[in-house]
Amino acid sequence: MNKLKLNSSSITFIPILVCIPIAYELFINFHIGGIELLKEFIISALNPKINNEIIFTLVKRLNETIFIAFSSWLISMIFGIIFGILSSEIFFKILNLPIFLKRFLNLFLTFMRSIHEMIWGLILMQIYGINFSIGIIAICIPYIAINAKVFSDQIENINLKTVESIKQINGNKYSTLITLVWAPVIETFKNFGLYRFECAIRSTAILGLFGVGGIGTSIFLSFQTLNFRELWTYLWGLAFLIIISKELLNKFNLSNSSKKFLTSIVIALFCIGLFSLSFFVYFIFYKNGIPFNSINNLLISNLNFNSYDFLKLLLETIVLCLLSTGIAISFPPIFILILNNQIGITIIRIISFLFRLIPPPVLILLLLMFNDPSISLAAITLGLHNAAITSKLLLANLYNQDNKQYIAMKSLGIAKRSSWLFGSFVKQANSYLAYCAYRSDIIIRETAILGVIGSVGLGWQLKESLSSFAWEEVLVILIAYSSIAIIGELINGKIKSNLT
Amino acid sequence: MINPLLELKEVSYKNKNNFTLNKVSLRIKSGEKIALLGKNGSGKSTLISLLNGTLKPNKGSVKLFNTEFDKLNLYQKSKISTIWQDLRLIEDLSAEQNVNCGLLGKQSFLFAFKNLLNISSFNKAHQYMQVCNLKESIFSKKIGKISGGQKQRVAIARSLVQESDILLADEPFNNLDPKLTSNIKNLLLITKNKNKIKVPNTTLISMHRLDLLDGFNRIIGMKNGEILFDLEKTKLKKFHLNKIY
Repeated sequence: MNKLKLNSSSITFIPILVCIPIAYELFINFHIGGIELLKEFIISALNPKINNEIIFTLVKRLNETIFIAFSSWLISMIFGIIFGILSSEIFFKILNLPIFLKRFLNLFLTFMRSIHEMIWGLILMQIYGINFSIGIIAICIPYIAINAKVFSDQIENINLKTVESIKQINGNKYSTLITLVWAPVIETFKNFGLYRFECAIRSTAILGLFGVGGIGTSIFLSFQTLNFRELWTYLWGLAFLIIISKELLNKFNLSNSSKKFLTSIVIALFCIGLFSLSFFVYFIFYKNGIPFNSINNLLISNLNFNSYDFLKLLLETIVLCLLSTGIAISFPPIFILILNNQIGITIIRIISFLFRLIPPPVLILLLLMFNDPSISLAAITLGLHNAAITSKLLLANLYNQDNKQYIAMKSLGIAKRSSWLFGSFVKQANSYLAYCAYRSDIIIRETAILGVIGSVGLGWQLKESLSSFAWEEVLVILIAYSSIAIIGELINGKIKSNLT
Repeated sequence: MINPLLELKEVSYKNKNNFTLNKVSLRIKSGEKIALLGKNGSGKSTLISLLNGTLKPNKGSVKLFNTEFDKLNLYQKSKISTIWQDLRLIEDLSAEQNVNCGLLGKQSFLFAFKNLLNISSFNKAHQYMQVCNLKESIFSKKIGKISGGQKQRVAIARSLVQESDILLADEPFNNLDPKLTSNIKNLLLITKNKNKIKVPNTTLISMHRLDLLDGFNRIIGMKNGEILFDLEKTKLKKFHLNKIY
């Protein structure tokens, strides 16, 4: 008998097996109490509330969202670039600095990156109270570290021989450094930096659900009062903002703009960023430094964990990551395979758009209407949200690829689905899995959001510990979160390098 | 005895691939025009990288102006310019920005920044690019978008604009047609020309083409990481060449 051999395509489908335990748990926890509400929610999507008052609130909330998202994007981009350069090997080589500083900086950035902006937001809100600045700072902390990693990775790609040749000209160190890093920084900003603005809008919406302000706050308040028509007005408003910002950024084609124009923008952004930072430093240390209402609790708090419970929560978080990742990987190719026609693909596009649009906390609250809190419920929520993102990428790549092989197979009389599987999908399987590996890094961080809302994993414990100002517990949870994220990142890094 | 400009004393070097340069000694005096001959893999590029300080020898010493390389300041180091075999240009910058990079050794950080912003003066770069037979239409093109021969001349212009005293060139005539080869060879070997640009007085060029030896006054032959002969051009005989090829 032949041995079973796995390839990228089969590995993509196997994670669908996670649906067995998920479906079982969802089935035994199912109740029909919220079916009416769900029906109302779905109908309201087509009948959002529109009147002067709500339009006024919507515009106000969208303005807040734009303000928080833009400020955090700008600051995180500027400092991301700076830290990206500082954490690159070329920086240390050119300036002849000891390499342990780089390792120290990378460790610090990894910690910042490994904790979701929502957790930073909750912690900062607990310390400083609710305001816009908290939202901006909470987003900036992980975003700066994420941007720094992307910029640093691109800078590391510079050919070392080019570095040698510029070094050999023997200019001053800073001239050499800027000459070498300029092009990769500008390229990365064009390819990655502009997209991060959309991410900042989504993060602002999620933080808004926890009271930071912006459209998320209105979404959450509408949900709490079960005012679904109002909720959909805000959700469509958010969709409008995301689509418009994307279109505007696409129009803002940097490759066609002159170098002078581009660099003027970079300098202007740099100045604005520095100004913003100085404002926030002032805000934190001088304006709002005194009402650090929990300082006493910080000093007297102690660890009240039951280690068994803590390990259970840790394990729950890991299981949640695995189940969600399984769904995010396997759902898109399976649904595209099953609904492999024009109408089917359009349906997939619409559904995935909605799952991307509805923030995971709102989605889980919807699902909680007819299911009890469980890991499976959190996993299906997080999995569906991320499957919507991976399906968008997969569809785009399938659309852009050369279809000769698919056409050739179909012309041989092979069934449409088999032709798609072996003629189209096989070519994308490797890169799709590599992207999913990257996505699972994000899923690990996002488990925190679902934990807080869906009462599972460490997120739930974090909420409890924050509410009781048990700072030592908060610290232990942060370290646990960070450790899971770092280990996950290392494993995913290995997978990515094997696939690409 | 005239002090050498550049001196290699009993230099040994071993790289990751176990290629070895064994106890090589060499003295280069001002005004010399040296052709470095040898088969591929004979050690010519390694020797050039040791001479410009990019590689550090495992044994022996490399001295410029009678000073160990490690003890030289940036100004002294900038007296050497190099044309690399693989050119080592910055792909995302334009041809003129790449040539301007050659001026980094003599200019401030502000110049480097202005060069990247495309607002620095390109007069000098253009002058050298024209001398290297580059047409104005490619000045502002990105390196990735010009031909191999044009890239070769951009790399040559970048090293010439440094206005160094010593030029080390590793197969600079690659990718050039016969007419351009002749023009560039004349440019690299003649210190004053009609364009009144400064060309390094001392030149070491590694190459394969024996028909281009006119104009050189010293020939060095290398094989398997060793210098097999080092003599005046007039004393070069066919059997010398047979030793290395």
